[in-house]
Amino acid sequence: MVSTVQNTDIEQKDAEHAVVVAMTFKAVFGSDDGDDVYGAGVAFTLLQALQTVNERLLLENPSEMLLFDIILITTDRQQQQQSDRIMSSTRHHGLQIHRFCFSCEDDFTDSLLQNKVHLFLSTDKNETVQAASRGVLSALVDHQTTLCSSQQLKVVFCGDSIVQPDADINAASRQAAEVFSAQLGEMRRRFGALDSPLSIVVMTSSGGRDSCCSALRTLRTRGLSVDEAHCLAGAPRGIILSVLRPHFQLSDGLSGLQD
Amino acid sequence: MVKMSLDPVQVMSGQVKELKVAPSSNGDSRGSWEEKEEFSQDHLGLTTKPKPPKPENAVTIAVSSRVLFRTETEQKVFEQKGVEEYLRYQIEHENEPFAPGPAFPFVKALEAVNTRLRELYPQSEELFDIVLVTYNHAHVGIRLINTINHHNLFIERFCMTGGASPIGYLKAWHTNLYLSADADKVREALAEGIAAATMFMPEKLTEVSESQLRVAFDGDAVLFSDESERIFKAHGLDKFFEHERENEDTLLDHGPLKGFLEALGKLQKKFYAKGQRLDCPIRTFLVTARSAASSGIRALKTLRAWGLEIDEALFLAGAPKGPMLEKIRPHIYFDDQMFHVEGAAEMGTIAAHVPYGIAQKHQKVSKKNTTVAK
Repeated sequence: MVSTVQNTDIEQKDAEHAVVVAMTFKAVFGSDDGDDVYGAGVAFTLLQALQTVNERLLLENPSEMLLFDIILITTDRQQQQQSDRIMSSTRHHGLQIHRFCFSCEDDFTDSLLQNKVHLFLSTDKNETVQAASRGVLSALVDHQTTLCSSQQLKVVFCGDSIVQPDADINAASRQAAEVFSAQLGEMRRRFGALDSPLSIVVMTSSGGRDSCCSALRTLRTRGLSVDEAHCLAGAPRGIILSVLRPHFQLSDGLSGLQD
Repeated sequence: MVKMSLDPVQVMSGQVKELKVAPSSNGDSRGSWEEKEEFSQDHLGLTTKPKPPKPENAVTIAVSSRVLFRTETEQKVFEQKGVEEYLRYQIEHENEPFAPGPAFPFVKALEAVNTRLRELYPQSEELFDIVLVTYNHAHVGIRLINTINHHNLFIERFCMTGGASPIGYLKAWHTNLYLSADADKVREALAEGIAAATMFMPEKLTEVSESQLRVAFDGDAVLFSDESERIFKAHGLDKFFEHERENEDTLLDHGPLKGFLEALGKLQKKFYAKGQRLDCPIRTFLVTARSAASSGIRALKTLRAWGLEIDEALFLAGAPKGPMLEKIRPHIYFDDQMFHVEGAAEMGTIAAHVPYGIAQKHQKVSKKNTTVAK
C-alpha cells in the first residue's frame, strides 16, 4: 500500500510544470543507526545543489514554475513503517523535500510512475535497473556524490550511450531521457554561460571525437546546450571523474548503470 | 607435407617471406603480401584509425584551442562584446574551420613521429598523445571538432572545461607538456610541476620540416634551474663566469622542461635501437647564451650526468639567438625570457615563453607592445 504525504513545512511545487526527482531513503539518510534522527546520506550535497538551482531560478523569476520537485521514496517495508521518523528527520535537517512516498519493494516502481517521476536516484543498482526497465530515467549516487559541490549541480551525460544506444533500451526509457534533457536544457537557458548553478557535461568514454560531436549534436536537437565536454577515447574514466565531480551520470540506456 | 610454423606476430606484421599462397586457392592471382595484409586487418579488426595509447604510457601533449588554431577574430568578439555574444558567434560560424595556429606545425610533426614509431613498434604505446585542453564551453566543441576533421589532425581526446580551471585535468591526463596562450594558466601548470609554455603567433611563419620534429631549448631556467641567472642578475657577468668556473663539476639543478627533453630522448632511443640514428625523426637543440669555452661546459656536464643526449648544442656567448634559430627552424623554441621569445618570433621562429625563474621579475620591455589576449 503506497501513501504519498506532502511536507507541510515547505512550499509545494506545481507538479505539472516541475521536474520531479525521486530519491530513495538510503540515498538521503544512509543507514539506520537506531538514533531518533537519521543521519545524512550520500545525496545530501545533491539535495543542496538541487535546492541551489531552485533558489537561483526563483531569483531570476519569482513566478518560475520549472523547478525541481523532490520526493523521498522508501523502497522496502521496514523503511515504509518509519514514516514518522522520516518526516521528523527531514524537518530536523531542514531538507527541501516536497513529498514523501511510503512504498515497499513490491510497488515502488508503481509509485514512480504514479508520481510522474522524471528522474529516480538511488544508491542501489538493482533499484535503478528496475526503475529503468519501467521507463523511468534513473541514476546511481554513491560516496563520490558527497564530494560534490552544493553550489552547482553537475550532470554528466554519457556520450557513448547517446551515439550507440543499447539494443535492449525500451521506447519509454528513450523518451524519458529525451524529456529530461529538454527540461534540463530549458532550465539551463535561464542562466548565462558563466556563473550557472547548473552545469551540463558530456563524457565520451570509448568513442573518439566523432562520437563526441554526434553526442553534442544529438543533445542540441533535444534542446540541451552542453557546458563541458570530455572525450576520453579509451583513457581511464575514474581519474577524470574525480576532477569533474559530477553529482550523477545519465545514459540513454542501461549501459551507463553497469559501470 | 611441409610443416610451416608461423609465428602469429610475424604473420600480422607481414614479415613472413616464406608464406606462399597458391593462386588457385582463392581464384585470383594477387601476390602473397596483399593477402597477408587483408588477413591481418580483418583478423585484428583494425579500423583505419589506430587506437590511442594509455595516457601514462604516452608522452602527452596538451594544447589549448588558441595555440592550435588561430582564433584572433573570436577573441576580439569575446573581449569587446562579452561571453554570450562570443558563443553565439562561434555557433554561427560552426562550419568554418579555424586556420592553423602556432602549435599546429608542432602537432603535425608529432603525428609524423608517431607514424614512424608505429611502423617500427606496432604494439607499443610509447607514442605522442595529443589532448586538446581548452576552457572554452562545449558550445564551441562542434566547431573545434569540425576544424580538426578539416585539417586531418589525429586528435581523439579533449577536455573542454566550460570556464573551469584545466589544471586538475592536466594532471589527470598525465600531461608531459602544456601549451597555451594564457600566461596565467601556464604559470599555474608550472607551479604544479607540469612543463608548460605560452605560445605566440609569429608575424611570418617560416617553413618547418614535415618529417622531422625539431625542438629547441634555452638552457638556464628552461632545462636547468635559474641559479646561474640569479647570480648574473645580482652580481653581473664577471661574477657569473667566476661562479660557473668554480662550480664546473657541480651539476646544475633541473628546470621545468628537463622532463620533456627526457621524454623526447626516450623516444629517440627507440629509433636508434632500430638502426635509425641518422634518419631519426626527432632532433633536439640547445640554444644558449653560455659560451662553449667556459660556462657552457657546466651545462654539457650536467646533461651528460642526467643521461640526456642533445643533438646540437649552440653556444652563442651572448650573441642574438634570432639568426641561429632562423637557421635551425625548430617547430618550437622554449625560452624563459620574453625578449628572446619576441626576437625569435620577429624572425619567423615559433617561440614559446616559459614563465619560470628570476627573469620574470626583470622582463626587458620590448619595442612592440605585445598584448597577450586572455
